[in-house]
Amino acid sequence: MARPRFVYVTYIRTTPEKLWAALTDPQTIRKYWFGITAESTFEAGAPWRLNFEDGRVADTGEILESVPPRRLAIRWRNEFKPELKAEGWSRCTMEIEMADYYPDFGGKAVKLTITHELEGEGTKFIEAVSGGWPKVLSNLKSLLETGATAFKD
Amino acid sequence: MSKPVFVYVSYIASTPDKVFKALTDTEATGKFWFGNAVTSDWAVGSPVTFHREGKLILKGEVLEYDPPRRLSYTFKPMHDELYSGEQPSRVVFDLEKQKDQVKLTVTHDDFAPDSKVFGSISNGWPLVLSSLKSYLEANRVLHAPWYEKQAAAAS
Repeated sequence: MARPRFVYVTYIRTTPEKLWAALTDPQTIRKYWFGITAESTFEAGAPWRLNFEDGRVADTGEILESVPPRRLAIRWRNEFKPELKAEGWSRCTMEIEMADYYPDFGGKAVKLTITHELEGEGTKFIEAVSGGWPKVLSNLKSLLETGATAFKD
Repeated sequence: MSKPVFVYVSYIASTPDKVFKALTDTEATGKFWFGNAVTSDWAVGSPVTFHREGKLILKGEVLEYDPPRRLSYTFKPMHDELYSGEQPSRVVFDLEKQKDQVKLTVTHDDFAPDSKVFGSISNGWPLVLSSLKSYLEANRVLHAPWYEKQAAAAS
């Protein structure tokens, strides 16, 4: 039986370096991740957590792989919802590739692939992240392409 | 054995009218859909065709036309023998207004058994829909409706 997983691909008009920076800089993460702050150096082996603005811990884990500006893998567990935390650890991989698309919009874009997979069995955690990723990544794409710096008007 | 379904959700800082129009407009699709321009009168039952540089790329039939909420048509690629032998699949666009953004959900299903089209569209939709988002967006980031719910609950 295949493990539950969510895969999402988006294409963003930016460079791999700028996208990597947006994925690993806590100040930038706050801007597109709806106020969530990330605590990590994003180096392989480093601890990692996401906190809500009020300080509550949202998710914890560690950086499994860090290959700038190509590949980031995070071991990840939800902390604030008991039914999600109970499903245990997951692996989230973020892969950045060049894409020679967008010819009419001035050239190249980068392809970002998010693969989020539960280590064990369960459906609720993957269902939750399936709803969350399109929101976060749509916001990231808007931020990188339009340069908007505030997420609230 | 369950049939494959492809679902893609994206949020676009635009209005349902503008998103719906972009999806059904010959000039707009020619721009964001990588030169593949759509033609249809959008009456239910009418043909839908996509042409690129004069060549027929895709054909289908209008199933639903409910601007600016829902659009659906059958989907039969014509540009490659690898795909044109398969029975048509179906694509549905659902548009949901969320303050100053649109939640666009694309559901592509009804594939033939062992469909080759499925693999192709799984790669194609993120490209086309990323392009649509870039095409439509003005200079703003997204709105977070759950913050409003929290504020309302707290007051």
